[in-house]
Amino acid sequence: MTAAELRAWPVEGDSRAPYWIYTDEAIYRRELERIFEGPTWSYAGLECEIPNQGDYKRTWLGEKSVLIVRGEGGAVNGFLNRCAHRGVQICQHDTGNVGKQIVCPYHQWTYDLGGRLQGLPFRRGVKGAGGMPADFDLSEHGLTPIRIHVRRGAVFASLHDATPAFEDYLGPQMLAFYDRVFDGRQLRLLGYSRQRLAANWKLMLENIKDSCHASLLHVFFVTFGLFRVDNPSKVRMDESGLHTALISERGRQELTDGTRQMQSFKADLNLQDPRILEAVREFTGDATVIMHTFRPNLILQQQSNTLATRQIVPRGPGEFDLHWTFFGYADDDEEMTQRRLRQANLMGPGGLVSMDDGEIIARAQDGFRTDPQGASNVEMGGRDYADADHMVTDVALRAFYRGYRKVMGL
Amino acid sequence: MTLRDEVEDLYAEYSELIDGGSLERWPELFVEPCLYRIVSKENYDKGLPLSLMRCESLGMLKDRAHASQKLNVYGPRSWRHAITQIRAREDGERIAARANFVVLETLHDQHTKILCSGRYLDTLVRTEAGLRFREKTCIYDSALIPGSIVLPL
Repeated sequence: MTAAELRAWPVEGDSRAPYWIYTDEAIYRRELERIFEGPTWSYAGLECEIPNQGDYKRTWLGEKSVLIVRGEGGAVNGFLNRCAHRGVQICQHDTGNVGKQIVCPYHQWTYDLGGRLQGLPFRRGVKGAGGMPADFDLSEHGLTPIRIHVRRGAVFASLHDATPAFEDYLGPQMLAFYDRVFDGRQLRLLGYSRQRLAANWKLMLENIKDSCHASLLHVFFVTFGLFRVDNPSKVRMDESGLHTALISERGRQELTDGTRQMQSFKADLNLQDPRILEAVREFTGDATVIMHTFRPNLILQQQSNTLATRQIVPRGPGEFDLHWTFFGYADDDEEMTQRRLRQANLMGPGGLVSMDDGEIIARAQDGFRTDPQGASNVEMGGRDYADADHMVTDVALRAFYRGYRKVMGL
Repeated sequence: MTLRDEVEDLYAEYSELIDGGSLERWPELFVEPCLYRIVSKENYDKGLPLSLMRCESLGMLKDRAHASQKLNVYGPRSWRHAITQIRAREDGERIAARANFVVLETLHDQHTKILCSGRYLDTLVRTEAGLRFREKTCIYDSALIPGSIVLPL
């Protein structure tokens, strides 16, 4: 079989996803170039992680290490975490404060909080010997700047000049979902979880677009009705097909046409201490859960009272890191904070729900690795791309592949 | 028997229950009211309140044990705890105990790897059945967990 045949998308079209898009090194390189370093806004962090001048967060844009820094006057600046001199990664901690200047430890090239080179030792030589050439221009040797956009407490970064305005990038419908969680209130950082999963980065996004699996894989969701196909639900997408919101209302632990078909439904399961399921309504509207996937690297989770960003950092075709940042609002009372922390038991690398996801997508990757010519079937709910008023559908996956193929030229 | 020996016995029993697959008996080593937490060193050092696991009662410990044994979906594996550098100090009715831990994880078809290392900061009390945990905080070192943590540390 020739390389071209290997690259041929299955004739069935977007209702199939060939396994080689998860395993092929050349595909992965193209993804870094066209998606992560292309005209996209990558999630970089929350403003509440860098409240004071000089605070920085080391974050990731594709595989590139990036710094976001609170500069003078409250601005958020972004640049590659790489000295303009010898390429050394300047900051190694995930967060911290650099003080008034950013200093590379290797040869002490010193930058201001906007990344502009201020000076370097021995520039004029020592005792008349050495030094930089007379035409060395500080202004030409700053840190590599990155476009930054801050909206209502979250920070996004882009490496590409042609990236559209953030609001246009999300589109009006997705922006409304975004603004529902990032509603303008000050955020409060609750903590981080980080894990490395042995699966392709797309599988994480797909898992959150795959609205059926939650009703089958996750006993906790199924049994207690937190996220289940027989609840009133909707799937919404933007025009690109790459942003998705799964919207649902919590149901009950009861036998329905849906739960009868779910082996994982446990009619007799009772929690000894049900406080981890006790939620209060805090957003307007009927939805109790909205799971957002914003391309290329963000899952925004609102499940009952747990709020978190999940940032995807690709690490080659077969691995990615998942950085969870749990947050609440600065005006939460103590009871609400405790509720968020308690419900966090469902999420993260040891989550009663999320641990299933991390495990199962790694198992999917195992399947792909042995047979790159195989393909996934995603025709639940038909073969179209239209928004759905239920979750018994793979439509968000089909729309994702359609958008992905266009970007990737596949 | 010194206090340290007593504490070491408790830790030995604790790890045998988890590593030996008898997680349903793991809550027996706690007394109500109790608090069990797994916290990253990153969150602990920064004073951030998030836990990776957090059980605030015997009921929550039992729910977690049941979920790990019967409800969650994960690949077959074995775990092995190594607990060292145990120190304990009795202060009235409470015993403050600390130790280092390493948890080795062996997945099917793979070599044994270090899942995580860290330290325990525990509060113990004396009961008729012996020492029991009132509070147990497992602070793990690595900011990046290889895979998932499917059992209590």
